[in-house]
Amino acid sequence: MKPKFLEVIDINKKFENINALKNVSLNVSKGEVICIIGPSGCGKSTLLRTVNWLTPPDSGKVILKGEIIGSATGKLTFEQNRSLNEFRARIGMVFQQFNVWPHLNALENVVRAQIVVRKRMRDEAEKKAIKILNEVGLKDKIDEWPDNLSGGQKQRLAIARSLAMDPILMLLDEPTSALDPELIGEVLSVLRNLVNEGMTMLIVTHELGFASKFGDKIVFMDAGEIIESGPPNTILKSPKTERLKLFLEKLSLTSL
Amino acid sequence: MKFDISYIFDALPRLLEGALITLQVAILGFCFSIILATFITIAKTSFNSRIFNGFIAFYISFIRGTPLLVQIFLIYYVLPVFGLNLAPFPAGILAITLNSAAFVIEILRGGLASVPKGQFEAAKSLGISGYALWWKIILPQTFITSIPPLVNEFTMVLKATALLSVITVVELMRVSQQIYSANYHPVEVLSATFIIYFLMCFVVSRSSVFLEQRFKVKRA
Repeated sequence: MKPKFLEVIDINKKFENINALKNVSLNVSKGEVICIIGPSGCGKSTLLRTVNWLTPPDSGKVILKGEIIGSATGKLTFEQNRSLNEFRARIGMVFQQFNVWPHLNALENVVRAQIVVRKRMRDEAEKKAIKILNEVGLKDKIDEWPDNLSGGQKQRLAIARSLAMDPILMLLDEPTSALDPELIGEVLSVLRNLVNEGMTMLIVTHELGFASKFGDKIVFMDAGEIIESGPPNTILKSPKTERLKLFLEKLSLTSL
Repeated sequence: MKFDISYIFDALPRLLEGALITLQVAILGFCFSIILATFITIAKTSFNSRIFNGFIAFYISFIRGTPLLVQIFLIYYVLPVFGLNLAPFPAGILAITLNSAAFVIEILRGGLASVPKGQFEAAKSLGISGYALWWKIILPQTFITSIPPLVNEFTMVLKATALLSVITVVELMRVSQQIYSANYHPVEVLSATFIIYFLMCFVVSRSSVFLEQRFKVKRA
């Protein structure tokens, strides 16, 4: 049997007394775009962060292309840490707060990890960085410092930084939630290009419009569990559970 | 007794030699202190061990809770009891290093606290860890925000070296004492000493403005 692309198996995570994730499992095929929605505090960000082990779960497994990213709990050994870093280098992550590095200019933000992790030569890394910055529409901001960029530009820089590592999977944690409304479009259009290129993506988002148009699957979470999942049309048009109905009603109320 | 400026001119060459030693002790001591404090800061954050952090907290409160003069005597006169005989110059540097490191650790703690957690996470999510995570991503940000308190700490170190005269490090203060106890003109000699110390500290504290500007210009 051909191994699945990404398998998240029986993830459990507790913070203090709160069950952030309860036996969450998720399968992702190559090229699939999965949008995770749900009320705040439902564990959707935590789920995303367990995939690259940024938040190690208490139990469960994550398997990428048949290889286990992590199932060990507690302190990792030196070897485990090294293999974890190799996995992380292949999994891009984009954060709500951008987290671009303020002490490096735009070009250097995209170059740094290529040199440190991928061991590329500087020439090669710069060439690649310029190409990708061009693709996300930051061609004229190459020498700019992050402090002088708008939110949308910072987020596109953060996406470029991930793409420079040639990721096979992208994790996006509310990529547009910290942006002014008029800046959301420029980030979504970069993501749209990624979808069209066939990138496998897990997106935590509140942009239902984007989710219904570009998502292959929508996963609705509440209180640390996956309540419903399926194609956007089914999920958004005919919700089966009361909780999803309520959530969608609230969203459409706020968007009025 | 009238103020005779010629004594200043006579003393100046030797005073400047002393000032050079002062600078050497201060710079070496401060560099070692920054290196030591940086490693301790990394270890504190990475291991997050209660025993280690407790030990460092104890060390800091010990250094801050006792006079530097006593610490200097301790290193110069008590270490030989345990078989560690240090000449005045290295003993002085050791005293300055151990003293200043306690303060630099606290300065870096503040600088590190101003680096958002997301900066670590972004680096980790790209596969950057360990040495590169600190050296390429976290420490540069920590040090940039710590420039003003670090420069301030260096002026404190520069002034503190005068205390090393008591263990016969032939720095500015010691030279000054030697000269006026020979020529009986403390007013002139001490005035000159005073001004040399002031000029050195003034240049150093102005450099803070320069360094801040330099890193601000890069980012503005």
